[in-house]
Amino acid sequence: MTTLHRRQFLLGSAAALAAGAISPAFAADTKLRLLFWGGKARADRTFAATDLFSKANPGVTIDGEFMAFQDYWAKLGTQTAGGNAPDIIQMDYRYIVEYAIRNGIAPLDEFVGGALQLDDFDKDQLDGGKVDGKLYGISLGANSVALMVNEAAFKEAGIESPGRDLSYEDLPALAAKFNAANKRSGMKLFQDGSGVEPALENWLRQRGKALYTADGKAAFDGQDMTDWFKLWADLRAADVIVSAEDQALDATDAIENTMITLGKATTTFANSNQLIAFQAVNKDPLTMTNFPRIKPGSGGGHYRKPSMFFSIGGTSANKELSAKFINFFISDPEAAKALGVERGIPCKASTREVVAPTLDAQSKIALEFVSNLGDLLGALPPAPPANAGEVSTQLRTTSQEVAFGQTSPEDAGPAFFDQASATLARAKKG
Amino acid sequence: MASAPSPEAARGGSPAIAAASPSRFAAARSKHGPGYLFLLPWFIGFFGLTLGPILISLYLSFTDFDLLTAPHWNGGANFVRIFTADAKFIQSMRVTLTFVIVSVPLKLAFALVVALLLNRGMRGLPIYRAIFYLPSLLGASVAIAVLWRQLFAGNGLVNQFLLNFGIVGPSWISNPRYSLWTLIALAVWQFGSPMIIFLAGLRQIPLDMYEAASLDGAGKWRMFRKITLPLLTPVIFFNAIIQTIEGFKSFTPAFIISGGTGNPINSTLFYTLYLYQEAFGFFRMGYASALAWILLVIVAVFTSFSFLTSKYWVHYDN
Repeated sequence: MTTLHRRQFLLGSAAALAAGAISPAFAADTKLRLLFWGGKARADRTFAATDLFSKANPGVTIDGEFMAFQDYWAKLGTQTAGGNAPDIIQMDYRYIVEYAIRNGIAPLDEFVGGALQLDDFDKDQLDGGKVDGKLYGISLGANSVALMVNEAAFKEAGIESPGRDLSYEDLPALAAKFNAANKRSGMKLFQDGSGVEPALENWLRQRGKALYTADGKAAFDGQDMTDWFKLWADLRAADVIVSAEDQALDATDAIENTMITLGKATTTFANSNQLIAFQAVNKDPLTMTNFPRIKPGSGGGHYRKPSMFFSIGGTSANKELSAKFINFFISDPEAAKALGVERGIPCKASTREVVAPTLDAQSKIALEFVSNLGDLLGALPPAPPANAGEVSTQLRTTSQEVAFGQTSPEDAGPAFFDQASATLARAKKG
Repeated sequence: MASAPSPEAARGGSPAIAAASPSRFAAARSKHGPGYLFLLPWFIGFFGLTLGPILISLYLSFTDFDLLTAPHWNGGANFVRIFTADAKFIQSMRVTLTFVIVSVPLKLAFALVVALLLNRGMRGLPIYRAIFYLPSLLGASVAIAVLWRQLFAGNGLVNQFLLNFGIVGPSWISNPRYSLWTLIALAVWQFGSPMIIFLAGLRQIPLDMYEAASLDGAGKWRMFRKITLPLLTPVIFFNAIIQTIEGFKSFTPAFIISGGTGNPINSTLFYTLYLYQEAFGFFRMGYASALAWILLVIVAVFTSFSFLTSKYWVHYDN
């Protein structure tokens, strides 16, 4: 009696399981998995575009998932290791080499001219997605570093807000004026940028140096770093920048904890596509300008960086369809309007024309800024080597050691150079 | 009913019993079969999700696994580097040991004091117990760590309060001199679960001992030292071990408060946080596995040391 019951039960559940396993196969549609990092604003825009694609391609659904940048890489790495990578992967300039050489992402050359129409695609942005001559990522927008500026704070102090010609040499005098006006008690002119990797890179490039060489070594030396830490120590002494304690509140560059958002400084180092996101959490009207020049007339520190790419998973079963989706994403007029310039300035001239008239004020500032860098613009540096991310965290720690007075710029410079070199050498080759 | 083999029978002295055992096993199998069947999900979980990964991580600790490519055996290279050339390992060890050595005794003392206060048969005891236990329930949560960040930031509630006394406090969480201490304070505040266990322990001390002592003229302090404390040592021992292990494992508060960085100047770089950075920040899974095994050994050493010394200070009833 009992056995019979059990058998019936087992049979029944087996049938139920089988039905469950089979039913997806009956569904006619193809599912593409899309993984990207970003916040809700980006997700809303992205999902509007994926809906448009599904509407235009009946039977295809895009299963999108998004998360914060820091969590993203652990998730993508785990899925890739498990042979379960998404079809469409948002990729960063920092990681594209590592994923490409390990076949985590697929080369796209075979789709160019077919599913991918890239005729009016900016050449520098296209080249940014190449690894060893093969195309692995389609840039979703051009971007540059940019200084977020609290316009209201300057207006109240009766000082013109910093513009294109601002140099590090001007900062003490400007800060003295701003501090004398004393309109926002405790607010400093600048954040402490000594631990901000893009600020260091911009400064090095104006000196004719760089962060990394093409073969993945440090392209600066200990003396450069001593000068850098000294620059900020002097600015700290001249009451230009926030205290070490305040700067340490900004642990991860999360926009909510930046010095401008916390009301501790009038400016913050950031990226041109982030004005929208900064404005969303700042009450004062913000604007955007370039990073300071190292002295009047110097330039070439900025570059138009591919803000992020779409790549196709190395194990994707639907590469052609994924390429078609990427093409839709970068060129369909309706999708372009939905996406705006949130991922940077579109790389196709035709898409830019569609987008330009629809932009809000902040997006227009971003578009203007990236299009008119002029003498500030230099060449695109090589993609950062493996372990560059770790060097960036070491820069932050060393900058704190100097700021809190645990070491001097003279000692910190060579020490950081040695540490960075050792970290880069530790990276595993291909 | 009472057919479970006695220990003597199981050891099997005589040939007769040995000969009988196969059929006995068969019988046992048919009898216990359904039991094992019901345990199957647990076995699958234990072998598939606990023991399996533990053994795999032991293997990975001898490799250069980076998530994306297949692991390559590199002998003891990870361990050699950890012990000879890793300043962050030493720093994270120092932070974690400070955290454990300071926070565990403080937490236990706090828990014991509150348990003694609550053990005086007051009215509404369940309510107080629940209130004091609450932080422990919330303790490991992200929300509390975020709240702590707000409380101890430069213009947080703590400094607003200090301002009443004319003290201008530092930004506790972002100053390397104080940041670890805010995390220790957070840990001590979560004294709820050792407190509950102390409370249960106090209830087990027979009241007649106190009566006898007070007849002999012993004061409160003397009774505490001579009766309460000795009889409570098994519970103290248990709590100390559990809390020490918890302390070594502590991760969430440091992760949230420092945004996963362990800064300022690595002052909150807990061992687990360093391990996490290596694994999920820099994708050195092999190296992180080695770090994990070292932590396991350290915790095991601490625990066995406690057990070894326990016979000198832990008094069991009989």
